[in-house]
Amino acid sequence: MTTDTIISIRNLYKVFGKDPAKAMRLIHQGMSKDELLEKTGHVIGLNNVSLDMERHRIQVVMGLSGSGKSTLIRHINRLIVPTAGQILVDGEDVLQLNPVALRALRRFKISMVFQKFSLFPHRSVFENVGYGLETQGATKSKIKETSMRWINRVGLAGFENHYPGQLSGGMQQRVGLARALATDADILLMDEAFSALDPLIRTEMQDVLLDLQNELQKTIVFITHDLDEALRIGDNIAILRDGEIIQSDDPQNILLKPADAYIADFMKDINRARVLRVRAIMKPLEPLDEGPVVKGTTTIEEALQIFAETSGDKLIITDRQGNRIGRLTVEDMIRGMRRPTAEEIHA
Amino acid sequence: MKITKPSYIVAIAFALGVLGSTAAQAACGKVTIAEMNWASAQAAARVDAFILKHGYGCASETVPGDTMPTAVSMTEKGRPDIAPELWLNNIKEPIDKAIKEKRLVIVGDVLQNADKNAGEGWWVPRYMLEKTPELTTIEGVKKHASLFKDPEDPGKGRLLGCPAGWACQISTQNLYDAFAMKDAGFNLVDPGSGAALAGAIAKAYNRGEGILTYYWAPTSLLSKLDMVRVDMGPHDKNAFEKCIGIADCANPKPNSFPVSEIKTVVATKFANTNPAPMEYLKSRVWTPEAFGAVLTYMEKEQANGQAAAVWFLKNHEKTWSEWVPANIAAKVKAAL
Amino acid sequence: MMWSNTFPQIAESTLRTLSRAIDKGYLTFSREYGAAIEAFFEPLLYFLIGFERVLLGSPWWVIIGTIGLISYAASRSWKLVLGVVLALCLIGVFGMWENTMRTMAMILVCTLLSILIGIPIGIFMSRSGRGQKIILPILDVMQTMPSFVYLIPVVMLLGIGRVPGLIAVVIYAIPPVIRLTNLGIRLVEKDALEAAEAFGASRLQKLLKVQLPLALPTIMAGINQTIMMALAMVVIASMIGVRGLGQPVLQAVTNQYFALGLFNGTAVVVLAIIFDRVTQRFGLRLQKHREGAR
Repeated sequence: MTTDTIISIRNLYKVFGKDPAKAMRLIHQGMSKDELLEKTGHVIGLNNVSLDMERHRIQVVMGLSGSGKSTLIRHINRLIVPTAGQILVDGEDVLQLNPVALRALRRFKISMVFQKFSLFPHRSVFENVGYGLETQGATKSKIKETSMRWINRVGLAGFENHYPGQLSGGMQQRVGLARALATDADILLMDEAFSALDPLIRTEMQDVLLDLQNELQKTIVFITHDLDEALRIGDNIAILRDGEIIQSDDPQNILLKPADAYIADFMKDINRARVLRVRAIMKPLEPLDEGPVVKGTTTIEEALQIFAETSGDKLIITDRQGNRIGRLTVEDMIRGMRRPTAEEIHA
Repeated sequence: MKITKPSYIVAIAFALGVLGSTAAQAACGKVTIAEMNWASAQAAARVDAFILKHGYGCASETVPGDTMPTAVSMTEKGRPDIAPELWLNNIKEPIDKAIKEKRLVIVGDVLQNADKNAGEGWWVPRYMLEKTPELTTIEGVKKHASLFKDPEDPGKGRLLGCPAGWACQISTQNLYDAFAMKDAGFNLVDPGSGAALAGAIAKAYNRGEGILTYYWAPTSLLSKLDMVRVDMGPHDKNAFEKCIGIADCANPKPNSFPVSEIKTVVATKFANTNPAPMEYLKSRVWTPEAFGAVLTYMEKEQANGQAAAVWFLKNHEKTWSEWVPANIAAKVKAAL
Repeated sequence: MMWSNTFPQIAESTLRTLSRAIDKGYLTFSREYGAAIEAFFEPLLYFLIGFERVLLGSPWWVIIGTIGLISYAASRSWKLVLGVVLALCLIGVFGMWENTMRTMAMILVCTLLSILIGIPIGIFMSRSGRGQKIILPILDVMQTMPSFVYLIPVVMLLGIGRVPGLIAVVIYAIPPVIRLTNLGIRLVEKDALEAAEAFGASRLQKLLKVQLPLALPTIMAGINQTIMMALAMVVIASMIGVRGLGQPVLQAVTNQYFALGLFNGTAVVVLAIIFDRVTQRFGLRLQKHREGAR
């Protein structure tokens, strides 16, 4: 755990059933998941999950339904209590906090946005956004000023006095987002926050989020089952299956070096050209290399565009500061877009 | 039609035979007996029901009743057939009218020497007399309204009256006015129901509180609690019947409660069609000792009317066997 | 065979000994604690008497005006206010004003008491599964046990009059508000509750700001039911000497005066309708507020 790690999940287990403690003992003795279910009727929701999340980054936790991702995120603010394991937030063990400290954690350090919006139907937009500030005990004037600021920031100016029942899905989630941001917490938990929205709105909201993140630099834990979404906004993606983390890596590496056939299969339909950056597949620079200069963060698709518009057969890749760090030919690019073979997966 | 004369005769004879036999059976068919909701009436009704059923072969059953409603029902509808214990004083006029119209028949007394042993009145607990002996008369009572504090109206005294539906509500109201109880500082309170009345009296007595209340003997309550009847002066029969017992009497004058007329009354139809049971009812007169014994039994053993009746029939054979001819007595005894 | 027809039961004598023991026990209890319990209820009694005196002593147009204003404030419907005023005037015209005022005083105090006691119990039940398991059967008993069974012991303890009447009415009328408060809180959307928790709300904050406001429509339905059931007890209460509309109805039943029973019974119905409409409208208005235009 480096000083950049803000959330550290260690050996987390969550067992569902009548006597989880007993089940834990059996698990420690080596019983498998299927055997446990058959013999005791207990289900392992999270199986020895360990994950470190970096400050100021968007950490995506991805998986299909039933993989345990919603359960996992709720451990961070202790809405769910684990059967075994540790959760450290900024060095503090969340599970050891007394009720007062836990409330303080939830009021000041962590905010949450929910898949089904979870707004308070009996309160107006203004009152919903101000809720976190209310529990913090802020003064009325501060609540008013902060709430209005965020309502404007998420683009809901003019709707302060409307009730959630009068708003569309996209607008409701903006309220949810504003409510979470108003508390100025460092950590933002987003549980499938955009999954209930239609695709166009979803893309719009992703833009809003990325925009805000540029400015605010929060630590965001983002749950989703949508691969495109994960690849679009994630700085790091952790893939969950059946309660276990299969792979945790940045998006490029997951595409290039999937941990197993399951993940490779997942990535099958991705437009790799749109996701992969040239930096991931570039070759070392050779002397006398000449050609159009592109940044390492350029996507292959964009690079192909440049190739099509210029003559020449290679691109020069630079880092953010402009230093030349590699080269890329069309052939390299085509090979880079190829999906990995079975042998490469198991390597 | 080819119906020949002989068939006519056969048909008619058959019909007569059927009618005759049913008539013979109807000599004692279904008999309804009113069972009022106070202890003595319950026991009396059940004893009658038992004897009529097992001794005389009637299909007897008891139905709930109350003085006023039962009297009206018997007069208008001829149902129930028998009211074993009807207190006539407060319904004198309607009963007299019914008898004149030949709808009802008074069979006879229920209680021996009723004039000495039974009666309504206003009662106070005996323990109050130890401190204030003059409470034995109505004048004495009027001077001490503060001793009979009304819990719902501090500063006033309380006369606990009769619930609605009881004929005594009328007489008590009129006597309350006649004795100018209101000016003496008394409220007349309607307890709501017979059970509430008994409960309120019991509560006050058990706490040693002061209470002035209407009640009547013989009852299990008065056999349990030691209370004294307040002397309200001589009884003017004429004034009582013409005024005190009537609802809208204009100017009631002081009076006291009459000697109680407690009679067995039957509907005329029943009287005319059941000679044997009528004989029984005529000879069935309770002695105060027997009545007292039954009431004490009911009080001590928490018995209901049915249980008390059975107990009485089992343990006081000498008494009731005098009411019925020997063969009937044997049948009743066998059924016990 | 004998026992195949009659149910095998404990011997009569045993039953009677048991009954006597229970009675004696109660008598001892009543003698020991009766005075103390009466003293405990005295402030309530004086409040009841005082409230009744106010209603009886005020001029009738003041009372009708006040009720009209309250109905308007609660419902904002001129039609309802007109109906209420008209109904009350008719009651007065038919000579039932005093009794109606008495009954209204009684019912209002009973309802107030039921709400003050019932809602906290309902809140407690909603939190505690075990509490619910214990209290629900008690509520069932309170609603179905024939009133006279507990009325007479109460009369023996406290005499006849307003306080035993109030106890009888509250016992019968309080279960709806308890049940529906419990139900309303339990049925609050889990999502809203989770959000409140995630933002660090304390238990009190959750209760006051999220659970109670969202449960309010159901709680209002409970209060509405409680008022109806209190009015239904009016006649039973008159059986232990409580004055008001119940008394003439009881008189009518026992004396067979049909018209008297009809008039007073109708007055009870009218009162019930007034209370029902006003509280329902009030409940609806509360909902409108929170859900916006639906």
